[in-house]
Order: sequence, then structure tokens, then C-alpha cells
Amino acid sequence: MKLNRPTRAPHSETIVALIDVVFFLMVFFMLIGRMDATAPFEVRPPIAQSGRDMPAGGITLAIAADGALALDGEDINREDLAAAITARLAQQPDLRLRINAHRTTELRHVLPFVAKAEALGLRDVVLVVTPERNE
Amino acid sequence: MNLRRRTQPRTLISLVPMVDVMLILLVFFMVTSTYLNLDMIPAVRPSESGTTEAPLPEGTIMIRIGADGIAVLRGQPFDADALASHMTAEIASEPLTQVLILPSGAAPMQALISVMDAAALAGVQRLRVLRLEALP
Repeated sequence: MKLNRPTRAPHSETIVALIDVVFFLMVFFMLIGRMDATAPFEVRPPIAQSGRDMPAGGITLAIAADGALALDGEDINREDLAAAITARLAQQPDLRLRINAHRTTELRHVLPFVAKAEALGLRDVVLVVTPERNE
Repeated sequence: MNLRRRTQPRTLISLVPMVDVMLILLVFFMVTSTYLNLDMIPAVRPSESGTTEAPLPEGTIMIRIGADGIAVLRGQPFDADALASHMTAEIASEPLTQVLILPSGAAPMQALISVMDAAALAGVQRLRVLRLEALP
């Protein structure tokens, strides 16, 4: 008597569901993530509870704890900063300048740039803060 | 004689390379994404940048920030909560009270933001940050 086990057809797992999950995760991270230029040094913005949501656009001046500068993620020195801002301001008159200074930066490294930006004609200068204490 | 067209077998496109690419993209976005909750505080207010002089407010509060980051009002050191409650009382009695902040150049950024934050929470509408410059 022949008792051969019947050969089962290989059960092909559908990977369509996996593709759906991966696709949704990818879209999620694309929407959540900020593809912003990060500074070449550590910047932890000061904590404030009265800050408003920050819209996109404009240029970001990052200031390190020791006073080092970076404009839109690129190192820049003080002498070239005014020319760079003036060039951007000529292209976009309603340019927004975001000053993202480290929370321990001395104000002598920050406040002169606010005055300088105002003197260059910038009318939209904001200080970057964070509402999270545990950051 | 059999003249029926032979049925060609369906060609299946393999989905495995696409899954590989999507997984690589997914890992890329997971690794490169930053999750910072950032807000902003205006540093230049429209009322400050204009050339027309606004009428002088009735009351003015001068807050100094020392090099150690401690806010001093009328000679007394204040923390952020006490400063906010004091300014709230001042605003309640005189809504047009102007707050002037004179920070030391050696004070940390967080000290200035804390005072500005306390003023904003107290409802201060007129806020200016003063900066002393050396004569050339």
C-alpha cells in the first residue's frame, strides 16, 4: 500500500501587506522628520513656554556656546555674515532671520546680531526656543 | 490541426527589489530625522522697528540681568515666577506698562529668554531689550 505523503504546494506568503506597512512608515517619517540644515556644532535652544509655532522658511543663524556662527548649517565668520544676509535680503525683502543660540551662550555673542540684522533692514527676527525641559 | 494560439505564461514582476529599496528609504528617514520641538519668540517687534515714536506709557519697569543670570528689579533679585507675578500685578494696575530689560553681556541666553517668557506670560505688550554699546 502506497502511503506517500501528499506533496503540498508551496504556500507563497503575500508581501503586499508588508509593502503597505513599510510604505506607510516611510511616509510617516518623511512627514514628521525635519530636513532642516543642522548646525555643525551643538545648539540647545533656551526653554520658554510662551513661544509660538515656528513656520518654515527664512534663514537660520546658529550660535554656539562659545560664540561660533553658522548660517543655514554652514560655518561663517562675523565679517562675512552681514554680506551674506544682505545678499539674501536682496532676493527676499521679507526675509525671516531665526537666531538659534545655545542656551548658555553669553548675550554679547547674540544681541549684537539682533541689532545688526535690524540695521540691515530685517523686520522679522525671531529667537528660537523650545518648550521642552527634558531636551 | 490545432490552430489555437498558445497561452503565454503570465510574467510575474518580482516585488523583492522594490521592498529592498523601500526598506532602505525607511531606514534613511528614520536615521536622518530629527525631532525637535522648536518655537520662536520675536526679537524685533514691529512697534520697535518703526520710525514713528509711540506715546510714552504711564509706567516703566526696568529689569536688569546680571552676569550670573539673576534678574534684578528695583535692587531685589527675582526668580522667573516671582517676576511673572510682579509683572502681572503691574499690568493689572497699568496695562500700558513698558518693560525694559537691560542684560549684562556676560549673562547667558537662557536668563534673557526666561525674563522675556515671564513678561509674555504676564501679558506685557511693551517689551524692549536694551543693549549698552561702548563709545567708539
